[in-house]
Amino acid sequence: MEKILIVAELKNDEVKKPTLEILSYAKGLGLDTSAVLIGSGIEDQAEVLAGYGAHTIYVADDPSLRLHNTFAYTEIIHEAVSQSNATQLWFTASESGADLMPRIAARMGVGAVSDITKLRVEGHAITAHHPAMSSKVIQECVFEKDEIRVLSIRGGSFEISEAETVTPNIEKVPIPKKDIRAIVQDIVTESTEGIDLTEAKVVVSVGRGVKGEEGIELVRPLVNLLGAGYGATRGACDSGWMPYAAQVGQTGKKVTPEIYIALGISGAIQHLAGMIGSKLILAVNSDPEAPIFNVADYGIVGDLYKVVPILTEEIGKTKSKSV
Amino acid sequence: MKIVVLIKQVVDVELNIRVMNDALVEDGLTYVISNWDEIAIETAIQIVELVGGGSITLISIGPDRVQDALRRGLAMGADRAIHVLDAAFDGSDSFAYAKTFAKMLENQDYDIILGGKQAQDTDAGLTMSMLAEFMNLPQVTNVSKVVSVDKDKCTFHRRGDLGNEVIELSLPAVLTPNDSLFEPRMPSLRGLMMVKKKPIETVSLSDIGVDPSLVGKTGRMITVNRLIQPEDRKGGQVFEGEEEEITKQVVKLLAENEIGKESLFT
Repeated sequence: MEKILIVAELKNDEVKKPTLEILSYAKGLGLDTSAVLIGSGIEDQAEVLAGYGAHTIYVADDPSLRLHNTFAYTEIIHEAVSQSNATQLWFTASESGADLMPRIAARMGVGAVSDITKLRVEGHAITAHHPAMSSKVIQECVFEKDEIRVLSIRGGSFEISEAETVTPNIEKVPIPKKDIRAIVQDIVTESTEGIDLTEAKVVVSVGRGVKGEEGIELVRPLVNLLGAGYGATRGACDSGWMPYAAQVGQTGKKVTPEIYIALGISGAIQHLAGMIGSKLILAVNSDPEAPIFNVADYGIVGDLYKVVPILTEEIGKTKSKSV
Repeated sequence: MKIVVLIKQVVDVELNIRVMNDALVEDGLTYVISNWDEIAIETAIQIVELVGGGSITLISIGPDRVQDALRRGLAMGADRAIHVLDAAFDGSDSFAYAKTFAKMLENQDYDIILGGKQAQDTDAGLTMSMLAEFMNLPQVTNVSKVVSVDKDKCTFHRRGDLGNEVIELSLPAVLTPNDSLFEPRMPSLRGLMMVKKKPIETVSLSDIGVDPSLVGKTGRMITVNRLIQPEDRKGGQVFEGEEEEITKQVVKLLAENEIGKESLFT
C-alpha cells in the first residue's frame, strides 16, 4: 500500500499553496498521505495540512529550526520517513526542496526526480515529466528498483481541493543536535513587491528594457491596479533594480499565472523557462525582433515608457466600465 | 587551499535542440561546459585569489570530447584535470555521478568541492548535494556571496526561499554557486598557451575503484524513458504603429479574450 509523505513548504509560518496542491493531488488519488512540518512556532499549521488530506503530521517545532538548516531538516525528514514507513517522499520544488531532496535521497541510498510538471502515479510505479535544457525538452522519467520514491513537484502543477475540518494526528520528531559545521546565523529577508509570484493570478515582469529605478516606478501603478505579482528577469535583478526574490526564470521562480505581462524583456530561453506555462502572455518591447514576440499572445512593439502609462490608463478605464 | 571543481560537458542548449523518435537529434549539436560549472570554476579561481594561493583540480566524466571542456577550464586558470573515460558510465543518472565522484574524492583532502548547482542539459540539480551526503560533508547550495574564506571557517550567503541566508561553514565543504555569483572569465591568450603545460590524467572506472555495475544503465536509479519536445508556443498578434493607438487596440482585444476578461478587468 502506497504511503506518501509530503514535506510542507512554509513561508511566514504558513503552509504555501504548492504544498496544498500536492496534498490535494495525493488525496485525489486516494493515497495514504502524511506530512512533515518543520520550523519554529508552526505547529498550528498541522491542522491546515490535515484539512487537505494528511492524516498524520510529523512535527519538529523548535527555535533552532526557525531558519532553513540542511543538516537538521534532513535528519528530521529521515526520521519522519522511518516513523511513517513512507514509500514515497514528495517535496515542492522550492530552494529548500532543492537543497534537501537530493541529500535525503542519497542518505536513503536512492535516486530522485526534481521539478516535476506532470506526474502519473500507478501504485508504486511513477512516470514523471521533468523539463530539461531550459525547458526545450521534457524528460519522461521512471524509477528503477523498488525503493522509496523521492521527488519534487513544481508549484502550479495541480488544483487545490476543498479543505475539510480534520483533527490532525501529531507525531513529534526529535529535534536534532546542532551541527556546528554549517550554522545559519541570520537571514536577510528581501521584501517582495505585491503578492507571491508563484501564487499570483497576474504577473507583471520587467527586464533590462525598463532601464532603471525610474522604469520600475513607472510600472508600479500597473502592478497595483491589477493586484499582480511584480517579477523581473535576471538582468534586471543583476542591475540592482529588483530584488532577487522577484527573479522569474530557469533558476528563479517558475510561475504559471493566468496572465504574464512582459515589459522590456527580450525573451531569452532562461527567462522563458520560468514563465512559458502562463496562460496568456502580453509583451511590450521596442525591438520587433525580440524572441518574446514568438511566444506572446499579444505583442506591442514600442517604447515601454510610452506604452505602460497608456496601458495602465486603458485597463483602468475598461475595468471601471465593467464594474 | 585545495579545491576541486566537478564539471560536466553538455550540449549547447541554445542551438539545434530537436527531438525525433524520443531522442535528441545528434545532427547540429555542439558542446560546451555547463554554464553553472563555468561559474564554479570562476568561483574556485576567485577563492584562491582571495586566500592568496591554492590549487584547482578539475574532474569530468564522459567521452573523448570532454577533454575540450577540461582544456578550457585549465585555460581559465585551473591547475590540473582528471578525465574519467569509460563506456560503462553511459546512461548514468545523478546518483551514479555522485557515487563516482565520492569514490574519487575520498581520502583526497580537498578543502572545497565546487560544482554546478544544476547541469545545463538535465536541469536536475541533484548531483552535488548527493555527493555531499555520500561524503558526509556540509553544503551550501545556491551561494550568492563569498564573504570570507579561512582554512577552518568561512562565511557565505545562500539564496534561500525567504532571502539571503548568512551561513558560517566549516571546511571541508561542498559549494554550488548561484547564477550571479561570478561572471566566468574568458580564457586569456596566456591562459590558452599555458594549457599545454598542465596535466590531464585519463582514468577508467576500474582505475578509480568504481564497480561498473553501480553506474551506467545497470546502476542508475532513474531512467529517462524518452524525451518529449513540448509544442512550441505559437506567437499571436504583434502590433506596430503609434503607441497610443495600438495599446488601446490590444486592451480592447484583451477585454474580449476569455482569460483577459476574467483576470484583468474583474
